[in-house]
Amino acid sequence: MPKIVDCRGLSCPQPVIETKQALEKTERVTIIVDNLAARDNVARFGQSQGGSVTIDEKKDGIYITIEKGKQGRRRAKAQSSKIPEHGPIVVVIPCDQMGRGEEELGHILIRSFLHALTEVSGRPDTMIFFNTGVKLTVKGSEVLADLQTLEKNGVEILICGTCLDYFNLKEKIAVGQVSNMYAIAETMLSAGHLVTV
Amino acid sequence: MIKGSIVKDEQAPLYGVVLFQSISSALRSEKLLKKEGIAYKLIPVPRHLSSDCGVCIRFLSQDESQVREVLTGKVEIQSFCPL
Repeated sequence: MPKIVDCRGLSCPQPVIETKQALEKTERVTIIVDNLAARDNVARFGQSQGGSVTIDEKKDGIYITIEKGKQGRRRAKAQSSKIPEHGPIVVVIPCDQMGRGEEELGHILIRSFLHALTEVSGRPDTMIFFNTGVKLTVKGSEVLADLQTLEKNGVEILICGTCLDYFNLKEKIAVGQVSNMYAIAETMLSAGHLVTV
Repeated sequence: MIKGSIVKDEQAPLYGVVLFQSISSALRSEKLLKKEGIAYKLIPVPRHLSSDCGVCIRFLSQDESQVREVLTGKVEIQSFCPL
Protein backbone atom coordinates (compact mmCIF):
# COMPACT_ATOMS: atom_id res chain seq x y z
CA MET A 1 0.00 0.00 0.00
CA PRO A 2 1.67 3.23 -1.10
CA LYS A 3 1.78 6.28 1.08
CA ILE A 4 -0.95 8.73 0.07
CA VAL A 5 -0.45 12.46 0.08
CA ASP A 6 -3.55 14.53 -0.46
CA CYS A 7 -2.60 17.75 -2.23
CA ARG A 8 -6.08 18.77 -3.30
CA GLY A 9 -6.62 22.46 -2.69
CA LEU A 10 -2.91 23.20 -2.68
CA SER A 11 -1.43 25.53 -5.25
CA CYS A 12 1.91 25.19 -7.04
CA PRO A 13 4.61 24.50 -6.14
CA GLN A 14 3.28 22.94 -2.91
CA PRO A 15 2.26 19.57 -4.45
CA VAL A 16 5.76 19.12 -5.91
CA ILE A 17 7.36 19.96 -2.57
CA GLU A 18 5.07 17.46 -0.79
CA THR A 19 5.94 14.83 -3.41
CA LYS A 20 9.63 15.42 -2.99
CA GLN A 21 9.40 15.11 0.77
CA ALA A 22 7.32 11.94 0.55
CA LEU A 23 9.78 10.32 -1.89
CA GLU A 24 12.63 11.03 0.46
CA LYS A 25 10.96 8.79 3.04
CA THR A 26 9.33 6.10 0.93
CA GLU A 27 9.74 4.26 -2.37
CA ARG A 28 6.20 4.50 -3.60
CA VAL A 29 3.77 7.31 -3.16
CA THR A 30 0.37 8.35 -4.47
CA ILE A 31 -0.29 12.05 -4.73
CA ILE A 32 -3.84 13.34 -5.14
CA VAL A 33 -4.21 16.68 -6.87
CA ASP A 34 -7.17 18.58 -8.26
CA ASN A 35 -5.80 20.51 -11.19
CA LEU A 36 -3.92 19.90 -14.42
CA ALA A 37 -0.96 22.14 -13.67
CA ALA A 38 -0.30 20.27 -10.42
CA ARG A 39 -0.73 16.93 -12.26
CA ASP A 40 1.84 17.88 -14.88
CA ASN A 41 4.31 19.29 -12.39
CA VAL A 42 4.10 16.30 -10.05
CA ALA A 43 4.34 13.83 -12.95
CA ARG A 44 7.32 15.67 -14.38
CA PHE A 45 9.01 15.66 -11.01
CA GLY A 46 8.39 11.91 -10.71
CA GLN A 47 9.96 11.31 -14.12
CA SER A 48 12.91 13.50 -13.22
CA GLN A 49 13.53 11.14 -10.32
CA GLY A 50 13.88 8.26 -12.78
CA GLY A 51 10.79 6.59 -11.43
CA SER A 52 7.66 5.16 -13.02
CA VAL A 53 4.66 7.44 -13.03
CA THR A 54 1.05 6.32 -13.41
CA ILE A 55 -1.84 8.73 -13.55
CA ASP A 56 -5.38 7.82 -12.69
CA GLU A 57 -7.97 10.52 -13.17
CA LYS A 58 -10.86 9.79 -10.84
CA LYS A 59 -13.96 11.78 -10.07
CA ASP A 60 -12.67 13.08 -6.78
CA GLY A 61 -9.18 13.95 -7.98
CA ILE A 62 -6.17 13.01 -10.05
CA TYR A 63 -4.18 10.16 -8.48
CA ILE A 64 -0.52 10.11 -9.44
CA THR A 65 1.48 7.14 -8.29
CA ILE A 66 5.23 7.43 -8.39
CA GLU A 67 7.51 4.50 -7.81
CA LYS A 68 11.19 5.19 -7.54
CA GLY A 69 13.42 3.27 -9.90
CA LYS A 70 16.95 2.20 -8.95
CA GLN A 71 18.28 5.28 -10.65
CA GLY A 72 15.75 7.40 -8.81
CA ARG A 73 16.80 5.98 -5.47
CA ARG A 74 20.37 6.83 -6.21
CA ARG A 75 19.50 10.27 -7.40
CA ALA A 76 17.25 11.02 -4.44
CA LYS A 77 20.11 10.07 -2.18
CA ALA A 78 22.52 12.32 -4.02
CA GLN A 79 20.05 15.17 -3.89
CA SER A 80 19.43 14.85 -0.21
CA SER A 81 23.11 15.18 0.56
CA LYS A 82 23.42 18.89 1.08
CA ILE A 83 25.72 20.14 -1.68
CA PRO A 84 26.91 18.12 -4.67
CA GLU A 85 30.65 18.19 -4.18
CA HIS A 86 31.60 18.44 -7.82
CA GLY A 87 28.47 20.04 -9.13
CA PRO A 88 28.50 22.83 -11.67
CA ILE A 89 29.63 26.36 -10.90
CA VAL A 90 26.68 28.70 -11.25
CA VAL A 91 27.05 32.48 -11.28
CA VAL A 92 23.93 34.48 -10.56
CA ILE A 93 23.59 38.04 -11.88
CA PRO A 94 20.50 39.51 -10.21
CA CYS A 95 21.15 43.09 -11.17
CA ASP A 96 22.87 45.21 -13.85
CA GLN A 97 25.38 46.26 -11.19
CA MET A 98 27.87 44.43 -9.02
CA GLY A 99 27.06 44.81 -5.37
CA ARG A 100 24.58 47.22 -3.84
CA GLY A 101 25.04 50.80 -2.84
CA GLU A 102 26.56 53.17 -5.34
CA GLU A 103 24.92 52.74 -8.71
CA GLU A 104 27.61 54.28 -10.90
CA LEU A 105 30.28 52.21 -9.18
CA GLY A 106 28.15 49.08 -9.47
CA HIS A 107 27.97 49.53 -13.26
CA ILE A 108 31.74 49.84 -13.51
CA LEU A 109 32.27 46.80 -11.32
CA ILE A 110 29.96 44.52 -13.30
CA ARG A 111 31.77 45.42 -16.53
CA SER A 112 35.08 44.83 -14.87
CA PHE A 113 33.90 41.52 -13.40
CA LEU A 114 32.51 40.14 -16.66
CA HIS A 115 35.70 41.06 -18.49
CA ALA A 116 37.71 39.31 -15.78
CA LEU A 117 35.55 36.18 -16.18
CA THR A 118 36.66 35.91 -19.81
CA GLU A 119 40.33 36.16 -18.78
CA VAL A 120 40.71 34.00 -15.69
CA SER A 121 41.38 30.29 -15.82
CA GLY A 122 38.31 28.27 -15.05
CA ARG A 123 34.85 29.47 -15.85
CA PRO A 124 31.27 29.09 -14.71
CA ASP A 125 29.19 26.27 -16.16
CA THR A 126 26.05 28.36 -16.07
CA MET A 127 25.20 32.00 -15.58
CA ILE A 128 21.70 33.09 -14.60
CA PHE A 129 20.45 36.61 -15.26
CA PHE A 130 17.32 37.99 -13.70
CA ASN A 131 15.67 41.25 -12.61
CA THR A 132 17.72 44.19 -14.03
CA GLY A 133 20.52 41.69 -14.72
CA VAL A 134 18.73 40.80 -17.98
CA LYS A 135 19.57 44.28 -19.31
CA LEU A 136 23.15 43.10 -19.62
CA THR A 137 22.18 40.46 -22.18
CA VAL A 138 20.45 42.60 -24.78
CA LYS A 139 21.54 44.65 -27.78
CA GLY A 140 23.47 47.76 -26.82
CA SER A 141 24.77 46.28 -23.57
CA GLU A 142 28.35 47.21 -22.84
CA VAL A 143 29.14 43.69 -21.69
CA LEU A 144 27.54 41.88 -24.59
CA ALA A 145 30.84 40.98 -26.23
CA ASP A 146 32.11 39.45 -22.99
CA LEU A 147 28.94 37.42 -22.55
CA GLN A 148 29.14 36.23 -26.15
CA THR A 149 32.75 35.19 -25.57
CA LEU A 150 31.73 33.27 -22.47
CA GLU A 151 28.91 31.55 -24.33
CA LYS A 152 31.23 30.65 -27.20
CA ASN A 153 33.54 29.08 -24.65
CA GLY A 154 30.83 26.82 -23.32
CA VAL A 155 29.13 28.81 -20.59
CA GLU A 156 25.39 28.24 -20.53
CA ILE A 157 23.56 31.55 -20.18
CA LEU A 158 20.03 31.46 -18.82
CA ILE A 159 17.91 34.59 -18.91
CA CYS A 160 14.71 35.08 -16.97
CA GLY A 161 11.85 35.34 -19.48
CA THR A 162 9.54 37.05 -17.02
CA CYS A 163 12.13 39.78 -16.53
CA LEU A 164 12.72 40.28 -20.28
CA ASP A 165 8.99 40.59 -20.65
CA TYR A 166 8.71 43.05 -17.77
CA PHE A 167 11.33 45.35 -19.28
CA ASN A 168 9.94 44.79 -22.77
CA LEU A 169 13.30 43.46 -23.97
CA LYS A 170 12.33 40.10 -25.47
CA GLU A 171 13.04 41.24 -29.01
CA LYS A 172 16.43 42.63 -28.08
CA ILE A 173 18.01 39.56 -26.54
CA ALA A 174 21.46 39.03 -28.03
CA VAL A 175 23.04 36.18 -26.08
CA GLY A 176 21.99 33.10 -24.13
CA GLN A 177 18.61 31.45 -23.92
CA VAL A 178 15.33 32.58 -22.44
CA SER A 179 14.54 30.48 -19.43
CA ASN A 180 11.88 30.07 -16.78
CA MET A 181 11.80 29.95 -13.00
CA TYR A 182 11.72 26.12 -12.86
CA ALA A 183 14.93 25.82 -14.83
CA ILE A 184 16.46 28.64 -12.80
CA ALA A 185 15.46 27.04 -9.49
CA GLU A 186 16.70 23.59 -10.58
CA THR A 187 19.99 25.00 -11.81
CA MET A 188 20.51 26.78 -8.52
CA LEU A 189 19.69 23.70 -6.46
CA SER A 190 21.97 21.40 -8.40
CA ALA A 191 24.93 23.77 -8.28
CA GLY A 192 28.16 22.70 -6.63
CA HIS A 193 29.04 26.34 -6.17
CA LEU A 194 26.52 29.13 -6.40
CA VAL A 195 28.08 32.56 -6.74
CA THR A 196 25.86 35.64 -6.53
CA VAL A 197 27.33 38.89 -7.75
CA MET B 1 47.76 27.12 -21.98
CA ILE B 2 46.21 26.72 -18.57
CA LYS B 3 43.54 24.07 -18.54
CA GLY B 4 40.09 25.52 -18.51
CA SER B 5 41.15 28.93 -19.65
CA ILE B 6 39.33 30.79 -22.35
CA VAL B 7 40.63 30.06 -25.81
CA LYS B 8 41.77 33.29 -27.37
CA ASP B 9 41.64 34.32 -30.94
CA GLU B 10 45.05 33.68 -32.45
CA GLN B 11 44.99 36.89 -34.39
CA ALA B 12 44.03 38.96 -31.38
CA PRO B 13 44.55 42.66 -31.98
CA LEU B 14 47.21 44.57 -30.06
CA TYR B 15 46.00 46.62 -27.17
CA GLY B 16 47.28 49.30 -24.85
CA VAL B 17 45.81 50.57 -21.61
CA VAL B 18 45.57 53.92 -19.85
CA LEU B 19 46.00 53.72 -16.08
CA PHE B 20 44.48 56.27 -13.74
CA GLN B 21 44.82 57.39 -10.17
CA SER B 22 41.09 57.46 -9.58
CA ILE B 23 37.92 55.91 -10.91
CA SER B 24 36.50 59.34 -11.64
CA SER B 25 39.33 59.94 -14.12
CA ALA B 26 38.58 56.62 -15.77
CA LEU B 27 34.94 57.57 -16.09
CA ARG B 28 35.74 61.01 -17.47
CA SER B 29 38.05 59.43 -20.04
CA GLU B 30 35.39 56.99 -21.02
CA LYS B 31 32.99 59.82 -21.78
CA LEU B 32 35.60 61.67 -23.84
CA LEU B 33 36.50 58.59 -25.87
CA LYS B 34 32.86 57.75 -26.45
CA LYS B 35 32.23 61.28 -27.69
CA GLU B 36 35.12 60.95 -30.17
CA GLY B 37 33.93 57.56 -31.35
CA ILE B 38 37.15 55.80 -30.37
CA ALA B 39 36.82 52.09 -29.62
CA TYR B 40 37.68 51.29 -25.99
CA LYS B 41 36.80 48.96 -23.20
CA LEU B 42 36.76 49.52 -19.47
CA ILE B 43 38.56 46.56 -17.90
CA PRO B 44 40.10 45.66 -14.53
CA VAL B 45 43.77 46.63 -14.33
CA PRO B 46 45.72 43.59 -15.59
CA ARG B 47 47.52 41.72 -12.81
CA HIS B 48 51.00 42.46 -14.15
CA LEU B 49 50.34 46.21 -13.99
CA SER B 50 49.22 48.23 -11.04
CA SER B 51 47.48 51.48 -10.38
CA ASP B 52 45.71 53.12 -7.48
CA CYS B 53 42.46 52.65 -9.32
CA GLY B 54 41.33 49.09 -10.09
CA VAL B 55 39.95 49.77 -13.55
CA CYS B 56 41.62 51.06 -16.66
CA ILE B 57 40.73 51.74 -20.25
CA ARG B 58 41.90 49.43 -22.98
CA PHE B 59 42.26 50.71 -26.53
CA LEU B 60 43.59 49.39 -29.81
CA SER B 61 47.32 50.09 -30.07
CA GLN B 62 46.80 51.62 -33.48
CA ASP B 63 44.62 54.31 -31.85
CA GLU B 64 47.15 55.26 -29.19
CA SER B 65 48.10 58.68 -30.51
CA GLN B 66 44.45 59.58 -30.91
CA VAL B 67 43.66 58.44 -27.38
CA ARG B 68 46.57 60.45 -26.00
CA GLU B 69 45.40 63.50 -27.87
CA VAL B 70 41.84 63.24 -26.58
CA LEU B 71 42.79 62.68 -22.95
CA THR B 72 45.94 64.72 -22.42
CA GLY B 73 45.32 67.87 -20.43
CA LYS B 74 41.72 66.93 -19.71
CA VAL B 75 42.13 63.95 -17.43
CA GLU B 76 44.66 62.98 -14.78
CA ILE B 77 46.51 60.05 -16.27
CA GLN B 78 48.90 57.77 -14.42
CA SER B 79 50.46 56.12 -17.47
CA PHE B 80 50.01 54.47 -20.83
CA CYS B 81 51.13 50.82 -21.10
CA PRO B 82 51.10 48.27 -23.88
CA LEU B 83 49.07 45.22 -22.92
